[in-house]
Amino acid sequence: MNIKHTTDMARRAFLRRSAALGITGAIAPWAMQLSMLGEAAAAQASGDDYKALVCIFLNGGNDYANTLIPYDSAHYGQYAGIRAGIARSQESLAATALPPSSPMADGLQLALAPEMAALMPVWNNGHLAVQLNVGPLIVPTTLAQYKARSVPLPPKLFSHNDQVSIWQSGLGEGATQGWGGRMGDLLMSSNGNSVFTCISAGGNAVFLAGDTVAQYQISTSGAIAINGINKTLFGSAVCQNALRTLITQPSAELFANEYARVTQRSIDAQAMVSTGLAGVTLQTQFNTQNSLAMQLKVVAQLIAARASLGAKRQVFLVSLGGFDLHDNLLANHPTLLGRVAEAMRAFYDATLELGVASQVTAFTASDFGRTLSSNGDGSDHGWGSHHLVMGGAVQGQRYYGLAPTIAVNGPDDVGQGRLLPTTSVDQYAATFATWMGISPSALPLVMPNIGHFAPTSLGFV
Amino acid sequence: MDPVVDLPHVSSGTDRDMPDPAASTPVAPEQFVLAVSSLTTLSACGGGSGGGSSATPSPIAPEPSPEPSPPTTTQAARFLQQAAFSSSEADAANVQALGYAAWLEREFAKPISQSNWEWLYAHGYADLSFINSSAGASNVIWQRLITADDVLRQRVTLALSEIFVVGFQGVTSIPYRPFVMAAWWDLLCEHAFGNYRTLLEAVTLSAAMGRYLNTSGNQKEDPARGRQPDENYAREVLQLFSIGLYELNPDGTTKLGDNGQPIETYTQDTVTQLARVFTGWSIPVPKPVTDPSFARLPMTLNAAQHSTLEARFLGATVPAGTDGRTALGIALDTIFKHPNVGPFIGRQMIQRLVTSNPSPAYVARVAAAFDDNGQGIRGDLRALVRAVLLDEEARSDAWSANPGFGKLREPMLRFLQWARNFRASSTDGAWGISDLSDPGSRLGQQPLNSPSVFNFFRPGYVPPNTGIAAQGLVAPEFQLVHETSVAGYMNFMQTVVASGTGKVVADYSPELAIADDAQALVQRMNLLLCAGAMSTATQSTLRDALATISTSTETGRKNRVHAAVFMTLCCPDYLIQK
Repeated sequence: MNIKHTTDMARRAFLRRSAALGITGAIAPWAMQLSMLGEAAAAQASGDDYKALVCIFLNGGNDYANTLIPYDSAHYGQYAGIRAGIARSQESLAATALPPSSPMADGLQLALAPEMAALMPVWNNGHLAVQLNVGPLIVPTTLAQYKARSVPLPPKLFSHNDQVSIWQSGLGEGATQGWGGRMGDLLMSSNGNSVFTCISAGGNAVFLAGDTVAQYQISTSGAIAINGINKTLFGSAVCQNALRTLITQPSAELFANEYARVTQRSIDAQAMVSTGLAGVTLQTQFNTQNSLAMQLKVVAQLIAARASLGAKRQVFLVSLGGFDLHDNLLANHPTLLGRVAEAMRAFYDATLELGVASQVTAFTASDFGRTLSSNGDGSDHGWGSHHLVMGGAVQGQRYYGLAPTIAVNGPDDVGQGRLLPTTSVDQYAATFATWMGISPSALPLVMPNIGHFAPTSLGFV
Repeated sequence: MDPVVDLPHVSSGTDRDMPDPAASTPVAPEQFVLAVSSLTTLSACGGGSGGGSSATPSPIAPEPSPEPSPPTTTQAARFLQQAAFSSSEADAANVQALGYAAWLEREFAKPISQSNWEWLYAHGYADLSFINSSAGASNVIWQRLITADDVLRQRVTLALSEIFVVGFQGVTSIPYRPFVMAAWWDLLCEHAFGNYRTLLEAVTLSAAMGRYLNTSGNQKEDPARGRQPDENYAREVLQLFSIGLYELNPDGTTKLGDNGQPIETYTQDTVTQLARVFTGWSIPVPKPVTDPSFARLPMTLNAAQHSTLEARFLGATVPAGTDGRTALGIALDTIFKHPNVGPFIGRQMIQRLVTSNPSPAYVARVAAAFDDNGQGIRGDLRALVRAVLLDEEARSDAWSANPGFGKLREPMLRFLQWARNFRASSTDGAWGISDLSDPGSRLGQQPLNSPSVFNFFRPGYVPPNTGIAAQGLVAPEFQLVHETSVAGYMNFMQTVVASGTGKVVADYSPELAIADDAQALVQRMNLLLCAGAMSTATQSTLRDALATISTSTETGRKNRVHAAVFMTLCCPDYLIQK
């Protein structure tokens, strides 16, 4: 992939925007003014044609039932009755209850885990939504069809690595394209530098690989410069130059050639990222001890540098591990969720600060949901799960999708309280794709099975 | 001293060098045999099932004649880089003198080197003040891998630790965590040349695995409370440690059913039922804990917590009321007898030691050795190791000359190769090498510290948007390769080469002795690090650059040696083990 160098026009646009932000940024106290500033800056930047989608991937399979917990008495009772030993107490949920703006038919009310209180202002401002029971499907599937295996089912259900891949790509391990990358294929033409279309601050993820778009990986401290080619190498400028040649030269050896291509991309992109990030200052505080927060911080910084990087449509991925809690669910899950909420809130605040809140949408995803049943002090691999969608453009304070029956051996249960999804990942993805500007006719290029489902947009953004 | 350099098979021309950066098809299609079992399932059944590769390299014509004996120096070095961690002249000479097979037998017969457990004890880590500490965990594994004399055993153990994965960060809520991991490594070492069935049982009952995949404390079902057995180990022992997700042919390719689709080896119901077998076990942690000795004891069975329900899986039945030990025996025997084990484990061992995309025939030969070691014994890991390393596909220059042959060296293997080749030692005896997991500033990999039970990378990983993907090949180690990690590795190694890390420093005496001769230095790097695979273009670029560093001073000599080692460690010619 060739990287085009930033144009003078883009640089000038960046400088103009920085100057504008600099003026508003001088107003204090920052935190108190944040929301108002965000709206004002967004209005000023109405000519700023930019949109970003951020996937927050929770590695290991998040336990949805202890993340979005039934709070109204009837549903809480069902939940607590099944989850002996791993249920949260109803009292602890009072401060994080999520009253939907229009009540659910059966009175369902969910609450965030208490540790996720940082997201309450976002909910209350209408910029956080809940998607109920979403998961991979090939076609709409009833419980009877699942049991009879009478319709095609996603392969390798309940297997971590494969379900990660299926969530991100539609295919199992070994897949080479994900839906973030396929969106990037369709959107990259609007970007000055295609290399910055799909960016991961986690590790390699198939989500961001497209047919032509490759994932660009960035560390939480930005792009890493290769010291040996930026300074004399052991005192020798000749060796410094020779090193650059050696590590980037094409090779007839298949693997060596690919390694050199990644190195070349690393070198080219680093120069541009360093320039772009040099002009960025974020007032929003991100907890340096929270790895997810630090990933989202670098995403926010890259968004701030969008003009310098020539980016108008971007897809990002960040990730946090540790969710495979077969054990110690009550001990460890709250800590993880606290990190997720803290990081998401800081990121949301940063988008307000940058005046791009309505141009940035973030969502959670994970390997799979987990069993409703307890195995003593944890839960096992499941399928459908609830997820969060956040951003200024999100029609929040609402639950989307169908609320599953909270029961073992109930109508949504494929075993031990594993949810049969009632909304497909294809629909979830197509909703974001539509928001990003992909036309209805192009949606099958992003999610090949979308034609099996209706509606193609779930309406949360 | 002058190294003996013998590079008869290194091409003198440009066939390893491709000057045209725009060339998009680095491999001529006719150089590959496309053994495509089913293009439609190509992506969907990658190597996670152990049988993913749909395209495999064939040898470059002509068909090679049987390996002449003895091996050349570079052939011996190449063998050592697959079977051990490094290839000094002395080691290579040994291989030449003994021949490959006898060298393996000598390694099989070597006593096991000092255990990690003993090292931790000897260095005071058993003191009660360390009960909740992770100190020593990194030191002990690095010193073992760098210094141990039983190199084949250590290399095979490292490979096994990437199949039977326990990640240190996931072994929590247990005292003396470094000892738990030390016992785990020692257990893998003990069984590395034993039988797979024995290994599988030892793994299953180990404290490390018991804690990591939650068998320890796993309780039987409780219908009144709706509680079910924990399914974690039952699932992963099948998916990752033994048979994989899909039925395999003996050559590791995926078997297809009448409908043209892969055949699942097990279902969710299999996992649910097998999980009953793994209930009732726990790590015998005493109260109070006064020393780490519990950490190397097998888990114990509490009959009251063991499920006595009938369990049916993989065609076997554990009758209701069976005691826990008998049930475990039935389960592990059943898994062991599954025909997938040979190709599933065999293919991954080939990937760890030799090449990412073995031909089906190679996998079949290795699987056959697993199925029967020639004396009617199934599961003999020595037979498996022999089959992997002595196979014509591993040994012949004709196979390795294929542009798609080989594998990316894992970062931790590169670091070990540096340490062993250049006689690294710990100046204070503490081996204070810290966790090297950070890809932005270190190796991006640390032994026994995989982020999940799925290892640092998957056997079926296909790097997107690459010629590797276009050829239908897998490249597991590329899962660690990205813009951050390539830079972080180079920056880390630049410091390490010059100054070491954690007071572990190299001794470059032999290299300093030939520093005046840039050509000799390059040849030495080519032998020690690349086993002769450095292209002629790389050799001349390197030689010409090194020659500009004056060696008139001691500092200049050091700089030239450091530059030679470091630049070689960065070259793609080196990074790919052929």
